[in-house]
This record gives sequence, C-alpha cells and structure tokens, in this order.
Amino acid sequence: MSYQMLTLPFLFLAIFFESFVLVTLLSKPARAARGRGPVDETPSVAVIVPCWNEATTIAATCASLLALDYPADKLEIVLVDDGSTDATPAAMTAFEENPRVRIIRKENGGKHTALNAGIAATSAEFVGCLDADSFVEPDALREIIPCFARPEVAAVTAAMSVHQPKNLIQHMQNAEYTFGITLRHTLASINGLYVTPGPFSFYRRSIIDELGGFRHGHQTEDMEMALRLQRSGYEIENAPRARVYTKSPDTALKLIKQRTRWTSGFLRNVLGEYRSLIGNRRRGVLGMLVLPTSIIAIGSSILLFLTMLFELGRSLVAAIEVRAGIPLSYALAPHGSFDWFYFPASFFILLSLSALLTSLTLIIIGKRISKTPGSIGLGLISYTFLYGLLVPLWLMRATADVTLGKNRGWRW
Amino acid sequence: MSLVTRNVLIALLITVALAGTVAYAVDYLNRARVAELSTIEDQISIDTLSLDTQFSLLAAAPCDSVASSTTLTGELSDLGNRLSYAEDQLGTNNPQVVRLKEQYSLLEIRDYLLTKQLASACGTKPVTVLYFYSNAGDCADCNKAGYALSYLRTTYPALRVYSFDYNLDLGALKTLIAVTKINDSLPAFVIDGKRSYGFTSLEDLEQQFPKGALATSTVTAPNTKQ
Repeated sequence: MSYQMLTLPFLFLAIFFESFVLVTLLSKPARAARGRGPVDETPSVAVIVPCWNEATTIAATCASLLALDYPADKLEIVLVDDGSTDATPAAMTAFEENPRVRIIRKENGGKHTALNAGIAATSAEFVGCLDADSFVEPDALREIIPCFARPEVAAVTAAMSVHQPKNLIQHMQNAEYTFGITLRHTLASINGLYVTPGPFSFYRRSIIDELGGFRHGHQTEDMEMALRLQRSGYEIENAPRARVYTKSPDTALKLIKQRTRWTSGFLRNVLGEYRSLIGNRRRGVLGMLVLPTSIIAIGSSILLFLTMLFELGRSLVAAIEVRAGIPLSYALAPHGSFDWFYFPASFFILLSLSALLTSLTLIIIGKRISKTPGSIGLGLISYTFLYGLLVPLWLMRATADVTLGKNRGWRW
Repeated sequence: MSLVTRNVLIALLITVALAGTVAYAVDYLNRARVAELSTIEDQISIDTLSLDTQFSLLAAAPCDSVASSTTLTGELSDLGNRLSYAEDQLGTNNPQVVRLKEQYSLLEIRDYLLTKQLASACGTKPVTVLYFYSNAGDCADCNKAGYALSYLRTTYPALRVYSFDYNLDLGALKTLIAVTKINDSLPAFVIDGKRSYGFTSLEDLEQQFPKGALATSTVTAPNTKQ
C-alpha cells in the first residue's frame, strides 16, 4: 500500500470536518450569533491581567483596557503581579493612581493562582482575563456582554489575531488565528468549544465561584476551565467581532515550544480528567465530534508527516544515488517541460488541494466575520507553505512529552 | 433530526461529492492522456511508414538523404518522455502503454537499422548504444544507467541511444536480443557492437566508447525510456 493510500482516510476526515464547519456556519444559530448587536445593558465587569515578567507589554495592555468603550464605574481592571522578577512592578505603578485599576502583588504561583487572586479581589458580575501581552479593541467588551444573555452561558470567547505580525512565522500564526475565529464562531453556535483562550475570555462570576476557580490544568488553565464548564453542562459562547490582538512567537523554535505546551495540555486534560467527555452523547457535538476529531487529527498528522518524511527521504536517497558521479551542472539542472500532459493530478494531490483551499476559504471568512483590518495575503501564503511542516513537530513533541510524562516550562 | 445530525449528514454528502468529483477529474485527465497517447501512436505509425519509405528511397540514392533520416529524432525525444511519464502515471501494465512501448521499440529498431545501413553505404561512423533495461524490479542499477545515458545524450547530442525494455513481449525485440546475444544480466549495453553488462560509474561507461567517439559524433539521437 502506498503512503498516499494510507493518508486518504485522514484527508476524508479533514474535508468532512471543514465541510461540517462550513455548513454549520450557514445554519441558523451561527447566523443569529453574527446578527447579535451590542446592547445597552452594562453589568459590572472586572478584567484580570495576570503578569509574570511582562514589563515590556503590561503598560500597553492596560492602556488598551482603559480605552474600552464601557462605563468607567462598571469596569474594573485588576493587574496581578505573580512574583515578577523584572520591571513589571515598576511598570504597574504608572497605573496606581487610576481609580479603575487595582494592583495585586503576590508570590509566584502560576497563572491560575494569579487569576484566582484577581477574581477574589473583585465582586464584579462578569470577570474576564487578558494575557499581559494582548491588546483589545475599544468595542470588544460591548461585543462580549450580549453573548451572556442566556443564563446557561458561562463563558464567552473573543476573536484573536496576532499583534503586528512582522515575519512569515507570525503571519502564518495570524492566518491560523483567523481560521480559529471562524472555527470558534461556528462551534460556539452548537456549543462545541473546549478552550476559553487567555486573551479576553469572559466568565460568569457566579459559575466560576460555583466550580471553584481556576486550576493548574497542566499549564493550560483556560482549556481546563472550558472543559470543566462543558462537563458541568454550561455553554461557551463566542463574540466574533470582539477583536483582541496578542503577541506571538517570532521564531519557529519558540512557536514549537508554545504549541507543545498547548497540545500536551490538551492531551493531558482530555485523556485524563475529562476523558468521560469523549464520545459522550450528552455533551453533544463536543463529545461526539469535536474532541474525537481533534485527537484523531493529532495522531493522523503525526502519521502523515512521518510517512511523507520517509517517502521523501527514500526519494532523496534514490535521487542522490542516481546522480552519483554525474557532473553537478547536469545533475542539479531541471529537465522537465511545461505541458498539461505532465500535470501531476493524482487523487491524493487534488484531494489535498481541496482541503487546503477550504482551509484558506475559512481563513478569509474569519477575517470577514470579525471585520479584522489589515491584509491576510502573507498569512495565506505562509500558512500554505509552512504550517503543515511545523504542526507535526509540536504534535510529536507534545505526544512524546505526554507519553513519557515530561513537563516543560511555561515560557516560549 | 437535530441540527448537528443534519449538518453531519450534509457534510458527509459534500465530502462524498467532492471525492467523487476529484475521482472523475483524475479519470478525465487520464483519459485525456490516453487520447494523447493514441495521437502519439498514430504519429509513430506515420513515422514508421515514412522511415520505410526512406529505406526504399535511400536504396536508390543512399547518401543524398542522410539528413532526412534523422528528422524523426526530435519527435522521438518528446514521445519517449511522454511515454515514460504515462508509464509512471497509468502503470507499467496498462495495455495502451504497453502497445505504445511496442511501437516505440519497433521504431527504434528501424532507426537503428537505417543508421547502420547509412553508415555502411556512406562511410559515416555514428556512435550507437543499444541499452536494455527492466522495470520489473530485477535491475538495481537500471535507474543509474538510464540517468548516465541521459547525461551522455544531452552532452553529446550526436550520440544515438536506443533503449529497450528487456521484458517487452515483442517479436522484433526478442530477435534483436537474440542477434546481439544479450542475456538477462541487466542493465546491458551494446556500444558500437560491443556487449557489456552492469553499471558502476559514468567514467566506466564512458571508457567503453571507442576512443574519441563521444567528442566527434555528429548525428542526433532519439530519446530513451530509462
């Protein structure tokens, strides 16, 4: 059996999932969510900003929160210094005099402890968290609050983009995040989310208290909380036009580190404490489709990558062997011709192209839904050529970590 | 039926429809390739007939039409490339591909005979290589040998290389194999009438050519399969 035959079931699965997202995107609940507009209600809100050595970004993050279009007496900003060892405390003092900002300093205990400390310091009806390397649009909060209209909604996620992408790695992540906007918006419409990301996710305070606050969650406290909410029967919504921009790793190595943490956190949470959600009919699309597909996707991506790497290596060795002893001027020169006859249109290639084109379409849709400004062109190009090469690297690393029980540091 | 179930079914339908469309597109392209190969077959038939006619004409005035005996080589090069690609895409056992290979091999044999006849009548000394290969997985060095010959043919355009699939079930080819007394130790070469077997390096292959032959060859050559 050729490697192409081996990959076909996974390609079918990818296309099926993308088709499902597209169909659900056009369904009534998603359309209704897109039609949801801001409301006049302004319940009390607190935004917790957990900080650990964030001296370079905390001021801009806090400034973006202060610029939110929300009544000043209803919005509280809680900066939590989680035992920073850099100039973060000094950077925070610039906001000490602001009546809307509260500063908490504590021993380093991890992000979940900083979030819990922030929540304990406020009595707001809704609490949000914002990573200290992220920045919000002024209307973001006004987009989020209406999503809490139904009492069963426990959390609301925002629409993330990369803050000022500069190189190809960051543009690639921006495209991926934009894909995520479509995905979150769509899955939220059928309650299929399993993560409430650090940048500007909001929670109904009473439910957070009921569930006992944030936990370590294998370094993915946002995922653990979302899974706990889902297991408890609550819903997670999404506000696709609540735009938030976050700093992203600028090298492939940093990106792999960051994603290894995310993926190993996902695996440890889902295959550990929350295993009962997988295949659970009562958890609807999350249990029956989203979680199983996500786990299969990790396995299949690794399998595909290794198989293709093996095939590529074999072809490369054969090509080198054939060319041994032949002058390089001939061996390295191209010897093809441009003719439709030679178009390599195999079932595998055309199906892969279909999956890729659908992904690019979902990215463009995400940009339109969220009304995110700026060009996505470079993102689409780098996503097309880089993403598939990098993803298996962190998936393999994370899978190995989980298998071997290895834990890594938080920072990328 | 719930919204999710309905959407899952629609997504499944879309997936099946997309896969079906892709399968149809691939089949359509392959059929177009086969049609192109049919055109090539027709072209080869005409060229073969033309070569036969040239044989007759040259019997009366053999050396006046030396140049015309090589007009086929440009077409042969292209046909050989397409045939090789079609074999990769459609499979070695595809009946259309096998038939085309047989016709291609016949044309090569006729061109080889014509070249020998012209050389005898007109005193020219073309350098010819008969190259026998196998695609049956029993020839570890055939790819290397084929690539080295491609290099030689490109570097010395006057070199005439005729490639033959040793396992092709074609009477004329079997006769050629019998006449040249080539056994099944592949790859095998007949360079200017001298037999050799196996491939070690380009240098060794070059040494099997008559001294100075590679530099002084003056006639263009057809394409090879391997």
